[in-house]
Amino acid sequence: MTTFGAIGIASTGLTVHRKWLDAVSDNLANVSTVRGTNEDAFRQKYVVAQEITSGQGGVQVKGILEGSAEGRLVYEPGHPLADKQGYVRYPDIDMSSQMTQLIMAQRGYQANAAVVDRAKETYQAALQIGRN
Amino acid sequence: MFESVSSVALQSALDGLSLRQRAIADNVANIQTPGYHAKKVAFEDALSKAVSHGSGAAQAHTARSLEPTRMDGNNVNLDEETLLNVDTNLRYQLATQAMSNEFSAMRTAIRGS
Amino acid sequence: MTVPISAISGLSSVTSVAPTQSVTQTAGAASTSGAGFANVLSGIDNLQQLQSTTNDLAVKAVTGDLDDVHDYTIAAAESSTALELTAAVRNKAVEAFNEIMRMQA
Repeated sequence: MTTFGAIGIASTGLTVHRKWLDAVSDNLANVSTVRGTNEDAFRQKYVVAQEITSGQGGVQVKGILEGSAEGRLVYEPGHPLADKQGYVRYPDIDMSSQMTQLIMAQRGYQANAAVVDRAKETYQAALQIGRN
Repeated sequence: MFESVSSVALQSALDGLSLRQRAIADNVANIQTPGYHAKKVAFEDALSKAVSHGSGAAQAHTARSLEPTRMDGNNVNLDEETLLNVDTNLRYQLATQAMSNEFSAMRTAIRGS
Repeated sequence: MTVPISAISGLSSVTSVAPTQSVTQTAGAASTSGAGFANVLSGIDNLQQLQSTTNDLAVKAVTGDLDDVHDYTIAAAESSTALELTAAVRNKAVEAFNEIMRMQA
């Protein structure tokens, strides 16, 4: 365990939540990304977290799950990428679920930042012992 | 010189509170981790028992919470952890002040002569 | 008619006086200040140990091996207080010595 352990642990939390925020932002930005049927659709990304059991603890990214490559086939014959039948691929992304995740990721990020602040106050109090 | 029950008890409390702060940090970092059960640190009961027996030394223990989990198997309650964080921090500051006061008192006695 | 006076019986010897009971030991005064003072003086004995503990913890703190930072600050405060006590006692002893030397002159 390191001396200012709580801060180190919280920083792993900040990193993971930051990656989660990035993934969700990316998904939202690409909600309307159209691909031709000969390619994969834009695959939404989902960050999977895992507890760090060695050392001082904390959290890490276990991996990134990718959503379906099929996406949604939409009939848009006028689209430049449309295939012979007039279909294009849209990503299979549920906006409302992504918005919920965005809020949760933000809340989690802020919570970890608050832990850093509190821990800093605690350690500063410890450093004041015996100083008069 | 520093072996009085209150000195040792204060140090045990500081150790326990510091461990609790780490547990809280771990819980908050893992709010989204599937299957994660919150870590809880207990030491107050052990400490008051020890003090009533004339010693100040008590060990803090970390255990996993058995609260019901959400769908992803995680049972960390963010509001609870946030309040506990504030509480732990304040108690820690209280204990460090109490310790500082003990040292101040000793120094005053030494210098008073 | 006169009554014959019987002879006065001899006085029996005085029996030895029983020795008075020795006063029972008064219960020793509860050692309150006695034990407290000894505790304080132990601070002087432990000064070297306290200082070496403090130095060890300081090294651990900067190499990142220290679990709780308050362990270091408490040890530092302890050794600093013990040092003050030692210095104060020594100063008093020097003063007292000088007093005595003055008296003799």
